[in-house]
Amino acid sequence: MAIRIALTGNPNTGKTTLFNALTGSNQTVGNWPGVTVEKKEGKLKGHSDVIITDLPGIYSLSPYTLEEVVARNYILNEKPDAVLNIIDGTNLERNLYLTSQVTELGVPVVIAVNMLDVLEKSGNKLDLDKMSESLGCPVVEISALKGTGIMEAAEKAISLAKSHTLPKERHVFDKNVEVAVKDIIALLPSSVPDLQKRWYGVKLFQRDAKAIEQLNISDDTLNKIEKIITTCEDAMDDEAESIITSERYNYISNVIASFYKVKNKDYVSVSDRIDKIVTNRILGLPIFAAIMFLVYYISITTIGTGMTDWVNDELIANIIQPGIQGFLESVGAAEWLVGLIVNGIVAGVGAVLGFLPQMLTLFFFLAILEGCGYMARIAFVMDRVFRRFGLSGKSFIPILIGTGCGVPGIMASRTIESEHDRRMTVITTTFIPCSAKLPVIALISGALFDNSPWVASSAYFVGIAAIVVSGIMLKKTKMFSGDPSPFVIELPAYHIPTAGSVIRSMAERGTSFVKKAGTVITLATILVWFLSYFGFVNGAFTYLTEEQMDVSLLAHFGNTFAWIFAPLGWGTWKPAVAAITGLMAKENVVGTFGILYHVSNFDKDTGEGIWQLLRADYTPLTAYSYLIFNLLCAPCIAAMSAIRREMSSVKWFWTAVGYQCGFAYIVGMIIYQIGSLIITGKFGIGTIFGFIGIIAIIYGLVRKPYEERHPEQKAGARA
Amino acid sequence: MMPLLMANLGEEYIIKQINGREKDKTFLATLGFVIDGKISVVNAMSGNLIVNVKDSRVAISKELASKIMV
Repeated sequence: MAIRIALTGNPNTGKTTLFNALTGSNQTVGNWPGVTVEKKEGKLKGHSDVIITDLPGIYSLSPYTLEEVVARNYILNEKPDAVLNIIDGTNLERNLYLTSQVTELGVPVVIAVNMLDVLEKSGNKLDLDKMSESLGCPVVEISALKGTGIMEAAEKAISLAKSHTLPKERHVFDKNVEVAVKDIIALLPSSVPDLQKRWYGVKLFQRDAKAIEQLNISDDTLNKIEKIITTCEDAMDDEAESIITSERYNYISNVIASFYKVKNKDYVSVSDRIDKIVTNRILGLPIFAAIMFLVYYISITTIGTGMTDWVNDELIANIIQPGIQGFLESVGAAEWLVGLIVNGIVAGVGAVLGFLPQMLTLFFFLAILEGCGYMARIAFVMDRVFRRFGLSGKSFIPILIGTGCGVPGIMASRTIESEHDRRMTVITTTFIPCSAKLPVIALISGALFDNSPWVASSAYFVGIAAIVVSGIMLKKTKMFSGDPSPFVIELPAYHIPTAGSVIRSMAERGTSFVKKAGTVITLATILVWFLSYFGFVNGAFTYLTEEQMDVSLLAHFGNTFAWIFAPLGWGTWKPAVAAITGLMAKENVVGTFGILYHVSNFDKDTGEGIWQLLRADYTPLTAYSYLIFNLLCAPCIAAMSAIRREMSSVKWFWTAVGYQCGFAYIVGMIIYQIGSLIITGKFGIGTIFGFIGIIAIIYGLVRKPYEERHPEQKAGARA
Repeated sequence: MMPLLMANLGEEYIIKQINGREKDKTFLATLGFVIDGKISVVNAMSGNLIVNVKDSRVAISKELASKIMV
């Protein structure tokens, strides 16, 4: 039987660094069942029979967040053989709060104190032997960063697991509480294992809803327990929940005195000194802007783009595509098969993978910012700005990444704890033009606006405005109603991230990006390719050449639905079809125009060569409405599948995509209809709809937010 | 008693009362915001505060800071 060790601790204690150091590359990353909380497991280096599970970073085992529920259910239900509790030596009191709960769960516990060197630098002293004595379980010193002491900590956990040595029970609470907990334990159903009795006793005393639900306690027993709690509450003159919290802290501050000596009270840490500048009232924002500009400039415009261009234009277009084509033709593959592989799969997947160098550079810098602790400060600096339109300070990062590619942008929303804020960020992130939308912008601006620079800048402006407007409107809907959860974020001490952790984080994000390209995008590409290259010629269903594309299934499809876009000024099948192929990858819009206008010789990045033809069919107004619709509507399939995954709900996925398309439609219509009124001065039915659109958005912005009525208010209203 | 919002930078206070929903109070408690606990404001930025509580630095919003009485 394998020995299972669970790793637990507060966020920012070096838990992940420790996990990586213990398991090396021997890891599997997935999600905990049913939730988007990441689950990591790995085998201990040199011990193939020891499995280490990295539990989410948590502050307590109360059921306040998803992470806490995941962690405590794992320990209670899966019963790991030992728990390795990593704590930050510079922050003992808060970290031991979790420890005091973990030691109640009925599993062997080893405490690993990290960052002791930082603690000692500040002149404070920690006596590990005395600490172990007072807490009732072994304490070891480690440095997750340097990798010292970590194997000893793991060995200790293994030996404890083998001998099944539980933490010595310590009386943590006041006498009144201990009596009440004892009485509750006597009432527990017999199904509760002896070892978990104390834990459930304390939890029921706290009226923990999840615990009551799990134990399936009868109303009768519940009443008895309630009586015990109220008696104790009266005696202590406080609520059960807060009694337990303050009793735990009291207990901790009492025992801590025996092993922790504070020598230097006035010590100002390096971290605090950095924060004085970085989160400064005046300098905070400019410093942040400078750092972001640098990151963005390096990853998107210089190194990233250089490599991305090379991959797209050289590797894929000039080496892989002709290579595969040559090979397939030489073995005599059918024409349609060559088409499917070369023009369908390779072109489609390649278009996405082409962004990989850019993304990896961006991920690299983000890993550094995250690893050193600056990311938490960004959330703090940006929060007041973003709060105004219903997003959180943490929404900034997804949007920033979204300027490169929406897929990792949406994935980055995972760090936002509040569900409302996270969903809102997922819905709005792709409004910002990603790099695949740039060719579309270039096409429109080149064809109809003489390459005027305001087209591109207006695209970003519209993107930002769409995020702000949507944030304000959505926040007022029933879906997002309710008090915003308070903005609280811990600011970890600054430290230099290890090269290993930066590379690992970059690789992890990169891999999930590639995986997405390999699965969903491949399938979607095949579908769109099939629709565009098959159709009826003279009554026979057949494979089409590029010149025959206007009879493809996709063209039929476009013809059927093109009228929908008439109010936006471009209700013909060509732009409609181009918009549909844009769902595969936005830059396809340009390629599709090329095919549909029978131009084979055009610049893929700007569409130069099709410009003349577009000019004949479109006015600047219809073209601009088309551009804005394409920028705001549902993103490409890859990004949509990311939305689906991060929402982990079909309903929310359709809500997001529906909102994006609806919003894009209304904005496109306003641009065309009101624009026509201004240019031609003609007032028609469409103009009325344009105004209705404007009024709808203004109403969405200024209306009173949805408020959930309290039961008393409803009763009052009825009376 | 006054809300933490009005506290002076760098001065140490004792938390006397925390207002708000039970759920939020519980979460704050796990981060170290407990009655009778020490707290000091390290930095302020347009109302949002960085505070030192139980030796860790925690950023809190203006709304939250107005609910913590010292």
